[in-house]
Amino acid sequence: MADEKDAFDPFLDELFAEASERDAHGASPDLLARVLGDAEAVQEGFVAPVARPSAPPRVPFWQSVLDAIGGWPAAAGLAAAGVAGVWIGVAPPEALEFDMATMLGVDDGLASIGLVDGSGFFGDALLDGIGESEG
Amino acid sequence: MPLDAQSDLDDEVLLVRFANGDRDAARALTLRLTPRVLAQATRMLRNRAEAEDVTQEAMLRLWKAAPDWRQGEAKVSTWLYRVASNLCIDRLRRAPQVALDAVPEPEDDAESAEERLQGDARMAALDAALAELPDRQRQAVILRHIEGLSNPDIAEIMDIGVEAVESLTARGKRKLAELLKGRRAELGYTDG
Repeated sequence: MADEKDAFDPFLDELFAEASERDAHGASPDLLARVLGDAEAVQEGFVAPVARPSAPPRVPFWQSVLDAIGGWPAAAGLAAAGVAGVWIGVAPPEALEFDMATMLGVDDGLASIGLVDGSGFFGDALLDGIGESEG
Repeated sequence: MPLDAQSDLDDEVLLVRFANGDRDAARALTLRLTPRVLAQATRMLRNRAEAEDVTQEAMLRLWKAAPDWRQGEAKVSTWLYRVASNLCIDRLRRAPQVALDAVPEPEDDAESAEERLQGDARMAALDAALAELPDRQRQAVILRHIEGLSNPDIAEIMDIGVEAVESLTARGKRKLAELLKGRRAELGYTDG
C-alpha cells in the first residue's frame, strides 16, 4: 500500500539523524566499565578451558624400554632371573656339579656315545674326520 | 592488536576474536554496541536506569553466546537488538511505564550553550512524541529511523514480516509528524 510507505519528512529525518548522532556517544563511562567488566569475566571463563593442546610429554628412554618389555613386573622378573644366573655361575649348588661328558654318557670321544652309527657312509666320514683331526 | 586497528573490523570478526581471548576485541565491541543498545532501550523503556540494566544484560548474553556463535547466520547487531528488544518488552509487560528520566546528554565542547539547549529541546520533543506511539510502532520507528536498520533486519528482530515493518514505521512516522507539527519553528526548523 503506497500510503503505508515511509513518507519523506525533512524535519523528522533531521530529528532522527540528530538522535542517532547523540546515541552514538550516549553510554556513560560507568555503564561501559560494567559491560567491559562482564566481558572480561566471561572471557576468562572460556579462555582457560580452551587452552591450546600442549605437546605430549617427553617419555624418557628407560621408560619406553620398560614399557616395551611389559612394565615393572616384567623388569622384576628379568632382574630375578639375572641374579639367579649369576648366583648359579659363581657358586653352583652341588646338585648341578657334574661333568658334561658324564651327563652326555661319553668319556672317550664321540664314537662311544652311541648316538652316531659307525657304519655306513656318514658314519665312516664322521669317524674318518675325527680320526684325521686327532691325528 | 591495538583498539584503533580493530575499529574497522566487522562485528562478527570481533566477536570471534573475543571468543578467542582478545581483550581489545571486547573493548571495541563494548564501545561500538553498548551506546546503540542503550539508545534503543532508553527510548523503549523511557527509564534510563532500567535501560542501562537491559543494556548490560543484553551485552552479557552476547559475551556468553560468543564461543558458540555460528558465523554467517545472523548479524551480531540484529541479534543484539532482538535480545534487547525482548528484554525491554518483558520489562514493559511487568511494570507500568514511568515518565522518562532526565537523561543527561553528553556535553560537546564544540557546541555552544545555545545550540546545546536547542538540541536538548529537540531530543526531548522527539522522545516525548515517540512515547506517545504504541510500543510496536515506537520500536519499529526507533530501529528503522534512529538505529538505521534495514526492514528485513527489523522484521527479524520483531519477529514479523517486512510488510508489517513498513506499515508500523509508516504509521509511526505519520503520527510523529502530527505530534510535532505545531512545534517546528519552536524547535528551530525553518525549511518546512
